[in-house]
Amino acid sequence: MTLNEKIYKWFDERFKLSELLPPIVKHPAPDNVISNPLYCLGGTAFLCFLILVITGIFLAMYYKPTPLEAYNSVEHIMTVVPMGSLVRSVHHWAANAMIAAVMLHMMRIYFMGAYKKPRELNWVVGVSLLLITTTFGFSGYLLPWDQLSFWATKIGTGIAGSIPIIGGYISLILVGGNDIGAETITRFFTIHVMILPITIAVFLILHFAMVRIQGISGRL
Amino acid sequence: MSLIEIEKKEVPEKPVEPLRVRGIPFFPHFLLREVVVMCLIAGSLIMLASIYPAPLLKPADPFDTPTPIYPEWYFLYVFGFLKFWTWDIGPIPAKIIGVSLPMVLWYGLLFLVPFIDRNPSSEFKKRKIAVALGVIALAGILYFTYFSIVHH
Repeated sequence: MTLNEKIYKWFDERFKLSELLPPIVKHPAPDNVISNPLYCLGGTAFLCFLILVITGIFLAMYYKPTPLEAYNSVEHIMTVVPMGSLVRSVHHWAANAMIAAVMLHMMRIYFMGAYKKPRELNWVVGVSLLLITTTFGFSGYLLPWDQLSFWATKIGTGIAGSIPIIGGYISLILVGGNDIGAETITRFFTIHVMILPITIAVFLILHFAMVRIQGISGRL
Repeated sequence: MSLIEIEKKEVPEKPVEPLRVRGIPFFPHFLLREVVVMCLIAGSLIMLASIYPAPLLKPADPFDTPTPIYPEWYFLYVFGFLKFWTWDIGPIPAKIIGVSLPMVLWYGLLFLVPFIDRNPSSEFKKRKIAVALGVIALAGILYFTYFSIVHH
């Protein structure tokens, strides 16, 4: 008995691997999914998400969410921290790629009519994921605290604030006061690294669970 | 790749029950393809990041408004629509419409797509209206993105 077999047997006796694994491992990927590269888009978005989690964790180690230190800490990441510039740039590009991939994925689902019965709720979860992803982008945009991020956030919160009825509350929750300042940057940081990651994890689990239960739409 | 090969040997080949769908098994064949695609995407991202590093401009200054200010590219259409829509409707000011239409109404419609489109067919030819509406929406988003860049 080789070492691999011994390890497998050890786990098999405890977790019944020989019953659990085959349905996952032998589960067939439908032919149309394999032959059409458009089916890669959702997976691409998820891969970008994983890259964003990893690079984001490293960025959070050096980033300081205060108006006085935010810019300097990002500059420090870009110039002093080993590989810091690469990690931040990959985070930047993966974020843009993820939003593009989510949008293209949604377009594929729409034009192939893959949202129809029984997949209505998975479409709703998917649109929520698009909203969460763009909110990620919006909250992350302010964090470097440079001219572009400051003024783009000023316009963005201004636009969100002029939505009837709920706009004022959204603006107050986001900005945390009358003007963009220390309260805003800690709020955006918390939203970006705590609230949204938990939210997107829940929605991703729902999204994937529904795909697993209902299968990939084989039509068109 | 070698990791996948090793793990493959551990699962003894058993007679497989009749399958629901035709296709290649998820593991290892499909997963291997996925890993190749993942490597290509990760490699492209690293290449892009090294050629075009993430920008960092001057520190934020609340007393110095720069021109032009652009939001993120995926919000440009909201910005563009706000500039495009200059007409009040009755008591509702133009700005409120310019903000609500591309954000509240647009996302509301997106959420409701499967409940609005009750047509069970997913063939292109049998759902001309849905496809046409999709193309119009897409063209609209692209046009307002363009509009926001030109009319700055």
